[in-house]
Amino acid sequence: MVQSKKQKYLFLAFCLIPTFIMFAIFTLYPLFSGLYYSFFDWSGSSQNKEFVGLANYIKLVKDAIIPNTIIHDYFLVATKVIGIMVLALFFAVALTQLKIKEAPFYRIVFFFPNIMSVVVIGILWTFIYNPNLGLVNSGLEFIGLESWAKPWLGDEDWALPSLVLPSVWAGIGLFMLLLMGGISNVSKSYYEAAELDGASEWQQFWKVTLPLIWPQVKISILYIVITTLNGSFIIVQVMTGGGPNNSTHVMGSYLYQQAFVQYNFGYGATIGVMILILSLLTVLILQFFMRRDKVEY
Amino acid sequence: MKRSVGQILGRTGIRIPLILWSLAVLYPIFWMFLGAFKSNAEIYRNPWGFPESFSFENFTTAWTNYNIDVSVFNSLIVTAVGAILTLILAIPTAYAIERINFRGSKILFTVYVSAMMIPMVLGWIPLFFLLSDLGLLDNIYGLAIVYAVSQLPFSIFVLTSFIGTIPKSLEESAAMDGMSPYKVLWKIITPLSMSGIITVTIMNAIQFWNEYFMALIFLNSSENYTLALAIDFISSEAQYTNAWGTLFAGLVIAIVPVIILYAIFQRRISKGMTEGAIKG
Repeated sequence: MVQSKKQKYLFLAFCLIPTFIMFAIFTLYPLFSGLYYSFFDWSGSSQNKEFVGLANYIKLVKDAIIPNTIIHDYFLVATKVIGIMVLALFFAVALTQLKIKEAPFYRIVFFFPNIMSVVVIGILWTFIYNPNLGLVNSGLEFIGLESWAKPWLGDEDWALPSLVLPSVWAGIGLFMLLLMGGISNVSKSYYEAAELDGASEWQQFWKVTLPLIWPQVKISILYIVITTLNGSFIIVQVMTGGGPNNSTHVMGSYLYQQAFVQYNFGYGATIGVMILILSLLTVLILQFFMRRDKVEY
Repeated sequence: MKRSVGQILGRTGIRIPLILWSLAVLYPIFWMFLGAFKSNAEIYRNPWGFPESFSFENFTTAWTNYNIDVSVFNSLIVTAVGAILTLILAIPTAYAIERINFRGSKILFTVYVSAMMIPMVLGWIPLFFLLSDLGLLDNIYGLAIVYAVSQLPFSIFVLTSFIGTIPKSLEESAAMDGMSPYKVLWKIITPLSMSGIITVTIMNAIQFWNEYFMALIFLNSSENYTLALAIDFISSEAQYTNAWGTLFAGLVIAIVPVIILYAIFQRRISKGMTEGAIKG
């Protein structure tokens, strides 16, 4: 190469430093100072920032709403993982294994909600759940189950489960495509061999497909868990705002309320630290349990 | 091979869930479009059917009474500025990480990629005060900067894998001819990784156009609202005004650009998203 060392480092600096400075200012610095703020009692103005040590963390442990927000988050994680994985696996197998002419149509349609705005999804589903005009209650009336009709999002017991369906609805397509990618890489000869051995389609799924696409299944589950823990509060905020009576608050929406509605920024940061720790722990634990040796036949 | 009756039945049976799910996806979206053309009275009378006559009144109300025009404009600015800024920041770094040997390149890449897994909510509180100190709070350009940086990890990740597919010999011969590394980056790498650049840009643009929560935190005044915030505002008003038709018109305005992009770039979008998820 003709260029000198000095030129090389100048070019490297040109490529890396401006980007890293922006990243440091707008991503790294806020994360670390979030940790720092969690030790302060702070209502936003600079005069009223007072170091309180672990007081926010003690408050966190004593706060009766916190355990509920954690339970709500993990309820959404569990139901979304089950709902999305069961349906996405089923659709992925159906669209790859069985020769269906119109498969591309389903692929395109099922994926679309993945790129819709959470606001649009949330508002659309709020209307679907609308007690008087909504599709759900009208549908129940239509099939003669009026007694089941209820103000879904206004009911303390039903509001949180009602949020699962929109999340599953919006999420399936991506994971279906991920799994389809895995399935199409499985060599046809395995299925031919399994068929010769007299394995039913059901057995083929459990004994051939699932073990061979385990990496994709694992990635999908981890991805659902991470995105739910880090982002479930957005649909909560749009659809219920945490209500009725805190029955749908998740950690993130509670953080928003504490920090940006009630101006307890220090305490909000403490909730943020909890979200960070819980989501990292969950991912580590999951990765440990889903470790499985790569299957090769 | 002959197919048994059971198999044929099975093949028809398998279509039923597929068709049902297609309806579950399409019908609400379709119905949202219909609702945008109905009068309020008709939405109450006949919420789920076809409109008796198509009127554009809801769109004009949304456009004039709810200042959707301003929000559309804001959203366009935020999306365009954000997407371009992401590219300016991501391409050189992706190139350096992928092609230039330097100590720490692996670590740097890991730092960027692992940021994709970190919940950013914690950072939003300090970011709020940082933007306030910089005079960028309640400012759509401030929001565009925040957006651009938030998509850096994903963009760098996708772009490095695209740049990795460009043959090295091209750069080497250009360098032999005395081309400066800056020119190599601009004249050779950028055009050759255009496919990746387009994918990343579409994904980022959709992300920025749709984004809601950061806009909610970092924008206050209604003249700075992005479309997502404006719709959310109409939605919360509709509980009292029952202006559902206007709300649907707002939703339609928000979703049409996404549908158009999806219609053109369907393959790129789904491929880009699955690849982004695989690394996560």
